[in-house]
Amino acid sequence: MTSIIPVESLKTKPFRVDPSEAPTEDIREVLFELEEAGEIIVQRVPEPYVEVMTKYGRTKKIPLGQTWHHKSCGQCGHIPGYSTSIFWLTRKLGYDYIDPKDQTSCTAWNYYASATSNVAAQGGVAMRNFAAAYETGYFPLIHCGTSYGHYKEVRHEIVHHDDVRATVRDIMSKLGKPLVMPEEIVHYSEWVHAVRDQIAQHQVRDFSDIVACVHPACHYYKLIQEDAIYDPDIYGGQRTATVSGLILALGAEVADYSTFFDCCGFGFRHILVSRDFSRSFATMRKIEVMKEEANPDVVITHDTGCVTTLDKSQFAPQAHGRNVGVPVMSDAQFAALAMGAHPYRVCQLHWHSTDYRPLLEKMGIDWEAAWIEFEKDLKRLEANEIEYLTWEDVDG
Amino acid sequence: MGSDRLLVIGAGPAGLEAARLAASLGSQVLVVEKRDVAGGMPIHENYAALTHGFRDAGEAMAELIGAVTSHPNVELRTSTEVTAVEGSVGEFTVTLSSGTGDDTVEAGAIILATGFQHFDPGRETQQYGYYEFPDVITLADAEAMLKAHNFVRPSNGEVPERVAFIQCVGSRDRQIGNEFCSKVCCGISSKQAIEVRQQVPDARVFIFYIDMRMYGYWENEIYWPAQEQYRVNYVKGIVTEILSKNGRLLVRGEDTTMGRPMEVPMDIVVLAVGMEPSLGTRKMAEMLGVATNKYGYIETPHGELDTVATSVPGVFAVGAATGPADLDDSISSAGAAAAKAVALLRGAEVTV
Amino acid sequence: MSRAAPTTTFARRPGATLAPNAYDDVPYEEKLALWEEVKADPRFPDYLYGCYECGICVAACPSARFYDFSPRKIAQAAAREDVELIFEQMNDDVWNCSQCFSCDRCPRQNSPGGLITILREVAVRHGLASSQEALEGYGRVVYKIMTTGTQVSPDMLQPDAFPDWGPDVKEVSDQLDLWRRALPPETLHTTSTGWEVSEKTLLELYLIWHYSDVMDMIEEVDEGLHMIIMDVMEETLEEAGYEI
Repeated sequence: MTSIIPVESLKTKPFRVDPSEAPTEDIREVLFELEEAGEIIVQRVPEPYVEVMTKYGRTKKIPLGQTWHHKSCGQCGHIPGYSTSIFWLTRKLGYDYIDPKDQTSCTAWNYYASATSNVAAQGGVAMRNFAAAYETGYFPLIHCGTSYGHYKEVRHEIVHHDDVRATVRDIMSKLGKPLVMPEEIVHYSEWVHAVRDQIAQHQVRDFSDIVACVHPACHYYKLIQEDAIYDPDIYGGQRTATVSGLILALGAEVADYSTFFDCCGFGFRHILVSRDFSRSFATMRKIEVMKEEANPDVVITHDTGCVTTLDKSQFAPQAHGRNVGVPVMSDAQFAALAMGAHPYRVCQLHWHSTDYRPLLEKMGIDWEAAWIEFEKDLKRLEANEIEYLTWEDVDG
Repeated sequence: MGSDRLLVIGAGPAGLEAARLAASLGSQVLVVEKRDVAGGMPIHENYAALTHGFRDAGEAMAELIGAVTSHPNVELRTSTEVTAVEGSVGEFTVTLSSGTGDDTVEAGAIILATGFQHFDPGRETQQYGYYEFPDVITLADAEAMLKAHNFVRPSNGEVPERVAFIQCVGSRDRQIGNEFCSKVCCGISSKQAIEVRQQVPDARVFIFYIDMRMYGYWENEIYWPAQEQYRVNYVKGIVTEILSKNGRLLVRGEDTTMGRPMEVPMDIVVLAVGMEPSLGTRKMAEMLGVATNKYGYIETPHGELDTVATSVPGVFAVGAATGPADLDDSISSAGAAAAKAVALLRGAEVTV
Repeated sequence: MSRAAPTTTFARRPGATLAPNAYDDVPYEEKLALWEEVKADPRFPDYLYGCYECGICVAACPSARFYDFSPRKIAQAAAREDVELIFEQMNDDVWNCSQCFSCDRCPRQNSPGGLITILREVAVRHGLASSQEALEGYGRVVYKIMTTGTQVSPDMLQPDAFPDWGPDVKEVSDQLDLWRRALPPETLHTTSTGWEVSEKTLLELYLIWHYSDVMDMIEEVDEGLHMIIMDVMEETLEEAGYEI
């Protein structure tokens, strides 16, 4: 061992960003200018909000309550414990929200898969949803990473191309709606990040033995990157802090692996019609690398496609003796479990494929007893004693 | 003319050379340096050998500093900052602040030699993790280790087996806003690659580049020897990201000439960080009302035939205060500015 | 009329020793017209500046690891305005892209993924055979999203559609009604849509499809699909007093 390392002093220097050196415009300022010019309405972030730091050191407002939950196709359709956990966390922390029926998909999954749409239509769909939120006075909180990324693209087109803005405004006026853009485009995982300390305060299960690998969602931090949350204390400010920040707050270990930045393999069209690609990529570039290098108890991610691809892709490779078998869930489900949520009534883990039971055991959860409870619910539903499982059933 | 004194702001290579030449031509020169020692970046950042002649940086700078401080026409004030400037060509009134208080001096002309700073790799848009991984270092960090003959992995003090240089970090990058080429990094990386091979003969050294920019004699003095004599591997392709695997760094990029993705382990990765205008350059430009370009460098708006006059009469800029510059450029521009400033102080028409 | 590529573009595979261009039978003017349409997209200037072949996009690209696909070649072909090569890419490569936008870290600020979005869109708008092939088996998803406003529905989880997802898919599909009722959020009790979307909302969505010419694009790639979607929409729109 050599005792003197000349650059050591530099290494202890924490990374600090200066927003005045940001290489991009602050789109919020441009939005306010457009509002001033009467071109657009900007929906303000309601109070109370938490201020977080984004990639270039700017501050972003994350609303705590009065949120309008823009749901996700894949979450609601195939992994409904994902959405349910987001709602459950919101209720548990005592914040007011709307789960709207006046909401469509952003339709970006289809757009990225098939290109059977165009700028005007995508703008129309986005602005219709934003107008619907505005009409309620609640602020959009976007559940899907792709919706979040795509809406930022749409915002760019509407702000910077007068003709696109005119076309979309025309469509909106035919629907009898104003052209409204939220002040911030906020992903639910940013809300989770903003309230992570509150979640930790309500934590009832010990996660100190849990080792998690994080998969950050491409459409969260690569597609229009300046809106994503960063923190000098997490990865030295060099990777997005979202998700990792929550896991650390809950006392679990975040284990690194060498394909952290790799996509999950979802591919939009591939997951539907060319799954050999998605499966191979998810297995060989993500799960196997995590297992070999970190051997995690769980993979935590924050987007619809990532949970689906990483979880479902682990079945078929077993036939080839591949080194798979790590349960996958969202940060919202992970946080809910920490706060004592029921693994089936709330987190709905029976919709997941890869075996999550060893993880639950490590968390101190008796999954067998929990399943018996849930089966009783199912029996009552089957017998039409109750029409639906309600929040009261869950909390009682 | 009010004052026949020349004020040089900044005591790096360019400022020192301007002072030396103006003094030799008979002018009274005041050199003001914010840091407590003269010598600029080669001293402050512990450069090992100078690019391109491999001369020992400390020795070369000591010679230049000695020539300036021993000259009877020169006064050098270190730990001193310029805090206000009033007046115009021929009669500038300059306030200097130091630990001992403020002072006001008169000057007929000013040479700005306030230089550059290294790009902070925390701002790169690739994923290199400079602040995450101790073994990811910059050219400046590597200079310091090479100077100490202690080129080891900062994480554990071990001698590296594989070393990579990544070019154009913070340069030629629209996303960062530094669209310019920093000019010197290809040469300095290659020079350092040679030094690494000299100090750690068993190490394999790789340079990942977009274009190798080795002008004039740098080609035969650095590039070819690095390849032919020192067996440095040059790979066309910029690294996409650096992560850690099995205690080593994993470098991921495309080997573009072979047309295939690559993932290779490394023990040390040196980021060839580019140049940006120093804080001093920005502050002085603002104080003197000198025009700057969109990157914050001082403009020399009079075209190719006048590389040192700024937008303010009587104020000249030299070296890396005007844009990325190697040592040869800096010294040459210092000479040009010194001659023009002395001519101006003597009442000559200086053509701009 | 077909003619040789003008000398200002890179002729694709010019020598007799190389394989013939797979799309020789398509007139150059047609290929050029498609390329002009790509360039006319409002996003184009934001997605392509120039390319110095650094390869940063390739190592970040998931598709480049599994296909003969390179985002660098997409950007380079576009930068060179190599009309013949771009046409080939529109007919093949572009459908390999994962649209993850990992390539967006380009130092020139290109977005190869964004370029591909536009290239695909033009391919669809003109009903290129490749787009029809790429969308084969995908029609029901387009139908679902356009008519219900949600992309995937719980009842799509059928064992024959997802045999590679294991036996759980069968269990989900067997228990679907019950399991959906066991979801506390009241918008999630649906089985044929991801969540419950109100009638008025759907109507507004249909109007957006009509006002933005998306229906014409669908007609280009799949007439049958177009007809079915139109039927569903017309009924709703007519009931609400709209005539499209």
